[in-house]
Amino acid sequence: MAELTYLQAISDGLRTEMRRDKRVFVIGEDVGVYGGAFKVTLGFQEEFGHWRVIDAPLAETAIVGACTGAAIMGMRPVAEMQFADFISCAWDQLVTVAAKQRWRAGTPVPMVVRLPSGGGFSGGPFHSQNPESSFAHIPGLKCVCPATPEDAKGLLISAIEDPNPVLYFEHKHLYRRIKAEVPEERYTVPIGKARVHQEGEDISVITWGAMVYTAEEAAKQLDDVSVEIVDLRTVMPWDKAAVLESVRKTSKVLVLHEDTRTGGFGAEIAATIAEEAFEDLDAPVKRIAAPDTPLPFSPPLEKALIPQVDDVVAGLRDLAEH
Amino acid sequence: MATETAVDVVMPQMGVSVSEGTITKWLKQKGEQVEADEPLLEISTDKVDTEVPAPASGTLTEILVQEGETVDVGTKLGQIGGGAAAPSGDGAAPEPQAPQPQAPPEPATQAAADASMAAASEGVGDVAPSEQAEPEPEPGRAAAAATSNGKTFVSPVVARIASEHGVDPNQVEGTGRGGRVTKKDILNYIESGTQAPPAAEPQPAPAPTPEPAPQPQAQAPPPQPEPAAAPAPPPPAEKPAAPPPPAAAPAHVQTGEQLEPMTAMRRGIAEHMRRSLDTAAHVTSAIEVDMSKVVEIRKKLKSEYESAYGVNPTYLVFVARAVVDTLRDYPWINGEIRGDKIVTRNYVNLGFAVELQDGKGLIVPVLKNVETLNLLGIAKGVTDIAQRARDKKLIPDEVQGGTFTITNPGGYGTFHGTPVISQPQAAILGTYAVVKRPWVVQDEVGNDVIAIRPIMNLTLTYDHRLVDGALAGRFLRDLRHRLETWDESAY
Amino acid sequence: MAIAREAEPVGSLREVRDAGLDREDLLQVYRNMVLTRGIEERGHILYRQGKIPGSFYTGRGNEAASVGVAAAMGPDDVGTPLHRDMGVHVTRGVEPWRIFAQYMGRVDGPTRGRDGNVHMADSKLGLIAMVSHLPAMLPVAVGAALAFRIREEKRVAVAWFGEGASARGDCHEGMTLAGVRKLPVVFVCDNNQWAYSTPTHLEYATEHVADRADAYGFEGIVVDGTDVLAVYREVKRAIEKARAGGGPTLIESLTLRMEGHAVHDDAFYVPKQMFEEWAKSDPLERFRTWLRENADMTDEEEDEIASEVKRTLNEALRRAEESPLPEAPQLLEGVYASPEDLDTPHHK
Repeated sequence: MAELTYLQAISDGLRTEMRRDKRVFVIGEDVGVYGGAFKVTLGFQEEFGHWRVIDAPLAETAIVGACTGAAIMGMRPVAEMQFADFISCAWDQLVTVAAKQRWRAGTPVPMVVRLPSGGGFSGGPFHSQNPESSFAHIPGLKCVCPATPEDAKGLLISAIEDPNPVLYFEHKHLYRRIKAEVPEERYTVPIGKARVHQEGEDISVITWGAMVYTAEEAAKQLDDVSVEIVDLRTVMPWDKAAVLESVRKTSKVLVLHEDTRTGGFGAEIAATIAEEAFEDLDAPVKRIAAPDTPLPFSPPLEKALIPQVDDVVAGLRDLAEH
Repeated sequence: MATETAVDVVMPQMGVSVSEGTITKWLKQKGEQVEADEPLLEISTDKVDTEVPAPASGTLTEILVQEGETVDVGTKLGQIGGGAAAPSGDGAAPEPQAPQPQAPPEPATQAAADASMAAASEGVGDVAPSEQAEPEPEPGRAAAAATSNGKTFVSPVVARIASEHGVDPNQVEGTGRGGRVTKKDILNYIESGTQAPPAAEPQPAPAPTPEPAPQPQAQAPPPQPEPAAAPAPPPPAEKPAAPPPPAAAPAHVQTGEQLEPMTAMRRGIAEHMRRSLDTAAHVTSAIEVDMSKVVEIRKKLKSEYESAYGVNPTYLVFVARAVVDTLRDYPWINGEIRGDKIVTRNYVNLGFAVELQDGKGLIVPVLKNVETLNLLGIAKGVTDIAQRARDKKLIPDEVQGGTFTITNPGGYGTFHGTPVISQPQAAILGTYAVVKRPWVVQDEVGNDVIAIRPIMNLTLTYDHRLVDGALAGRFLRDLRHRLETWDESAY
Repeated sequence: MAIAREAEPVGSLREVRDAGLDREDLLQVYRNMVLTRGIEERGHILYRQGKIPGSFYTGRGNEAASVGVAAAMGPDDVGTPLHRDMGVHVTRGVEPWRIFAQYMGRVDGPTRGRDGNVHMADSKLGLIAMVSHLPAMLPVAVGAALAFRIREEKRVAVAWFGEGASARGDCHEGMTLAGVRKLPVVFVCDNNQWAYSTPTHLEYATEHVADRADAYGFEGIVVDGTDVLAVYREVKRAIEKARAGGGPTLIESLTLRMEGHAVHDDAFYVPKQMFEEWAKSDPLERFRTWLRENADMTDEEEDEIASEVKRTLNEALRRAEESPLPEAPQLLEGVYASPEDLDTPHHK
């Protein structure tokens, strides 16, 4: 075990798979000489060469489209979007081609798109978004959102192994802030399995990504309320059983995400709880999410948008008192 | 442009993922004059090393972070202008991550807060001291809510628990917002004994009194309470989650009475018994069986079984073996009503009610595919599964999937009973003590004479929705026949 | 002013032999063209009979271009043919009965009723199924070429697009990536002069679509798409160049879409004399004449091809109509691939 940052764990997972499997290659903007905008692939080109660590032109459609074609030809491409926000440029390739190819034409597309996502550092409207719910809505795509270094490595390896297009949302805010012990050997974390980040009795917080830590901080501030934090880890397919199990235990639920509220993935979770665990609820399901507003640049505005510890404390307090 | 007001020098964010930076060198010393935009210090981050230009002109009045130190992005490093001291300006520096100390959750009033403190220190939720049984004025909040419009919101989970336990939520003291009854409130209320409601209140009748019968299949060993019933180990009083009125609902105890908590298993049994009686149309038929043949064979087999296999061929084993064969001819008795259909099977999974904890619980391990076992196989299976039930070493699968159950309260000499059916099965067989009784038999020449015979009573309690009396009678008749004419070679 | 090279028509049999086709091959090419047209004509009838749901598209006028390109591809080469390129499926060996089953939404169509008309491909034959969003398949073909380049395989990807789709960004991005990396890909523009109802001068401002190739750093060629041998020769040359590491080529094959955009479109907006003019160089008739004049195709040979195609079509139609319609529960199968799905030649 070594202590790695979240970012190092991603690198480690990627390097592990590239060493193990010659079919794995990386393509993206500035991933080669520069090592990627966030340095996830720093040193990769020296180790794996120019044809496995490919500096692409600034062309997301070409990057994702090329990954699709290469995947169909038996490769295991890992595309890096410089920022998750830019995936909108490749929407068509992912949603129209990659997501439907298996179902439609019987041709699997085993590829990964890495998406540095999330805000909290004045990235502004185009460097901070959390677009997971848009893609979770597309049958044929999988979406994973690790929160811990251990999951970051294990889920990346699972994503590369998976025979489907997997969107790997890596939260920028966690890159260098979160450090933890990570096994040195190769291991996988199953896609579609949640993790109980913290056990509790009174209220379940269902969340993922950086919000896991926001929830943890908030829970620490409530001595008298026992909070269970369920880290979804995978948004699609999501671990309904784990969520319902927690809900049945606590009967009060807070669904928390950094993405905007309307049509956010939390809405799906809340609706499912209402459908399948109605008779276990002791309070209405509460959502805390960003308001339906683009992500702002200026710190006070951004702080007002992204759910903060205090917001979660207030939400938990409200549920506890219900 | 010199500045009079203080301007903070902060650790800049050199890239969106960078969270901290290290000061490698201050290029100006405290007290020195600096010009806006001239290099002030050098920093090093994960991504880049850079100079930090002075954010304003003026005197460098403070250096708060020394060379070599690593601090979070946004940390104030120093100050230009202003007075010397003031550690924190109102400037552009981002708020430190640490949240402001949170005000404790305010109870609605100081009185409520005091009451809450008092309640905590007095240990509400333990066996209440008798003083507390004194009638108290209705707690304000609950009363207020109840009187505001005569209705209080009952959450889905509270409604479900109330209906499962036959509790009227209005009888439960609420600690939620506006006096609402929370899940915890109602669970505490039930756990503390439903006998509690104030005098004159109509008592919802829970406690069914039939003799022990199998508990629900879902009741996995080690007792795995149904999810909603899972009580957190600490008593609720340890967590005054909401400002509660001091006198919580639970225990109204009279002089001379003792309260003990209901275990999850007990609650499960109670719930299942009630539900079974609410579901099935219970009818019991009984029959007397001359066990002479079985007694004789058993005597022969006993030492062999015990020495060779370490198991005891009890009467129960013989009965079980005969039951399995008889069930083959009566598939409905081995069946189930599922929706508007009748389920029958080509196998028998036999449940055996096993007593646990000195009469404070029971469990029904299930022997699967008994139709494939001979007498020895059943003897081994029953011995094993009963022992593991008592040792709490059963796995969940071993208490599920029963198709017919045998309960054996006869060990204590009882000769009759009306067990409750284990849902969703169709029937349950009771076996009772084998006792020597004067019995009218025929001698060799056909005259009636009285003989001493070991007699066992068997009862079949069946769900009349599926099984009619005549069918049950024939089943018992055939079962008796098998036992009375035990064919040793067949088993 | 044109930048792309304008290819000469093919003349003699010797020239064809130099390009790699013997007489037997030529007759096979002709047969595939006849079969291609036959399938689409039958499809047209089926559609009017109400046996084909949805919409129906044909590539009438594009038979030489599609068969010619496919004939130039090697067995391990791959491609992303479009809705005017039935000849590619036919040449690569997709059985006609499965094409009819696809048309009719039957379970034996390559997409098992999940997608319609020419939205299909048999990956075992090196084809990748197109989507409606044109030219989305172009970056995908570039990706296939990238895989070949990474693995240092001597294989080539062929990427089809239309002159209408040349307006979209996918086209630009795909060609940019292919150009900078000199990937083994040949871009084939089926320029049939009409993007639904929009004429070429409203789709691009250069003289030829192929003129753009220069901007991406590779060669552009314009070829008469009704001349199957010219198409074959130019594509063959481009494929072998790509295979040898010479990078991409853009070949623009000029034809006229001889029917509406789809069966429901009567193409009133296409000037009548334009149809009349292009009808004179019908690709089938043109090649048939060439074969008779240059390769001594006999009446017997011609009749035999015609009757064999007819038999094939009758048999295919019969078999396709026996194929069941999919059942509702099958809808949910295979939204996600399972690891066993990777057990294909491509993924080994």
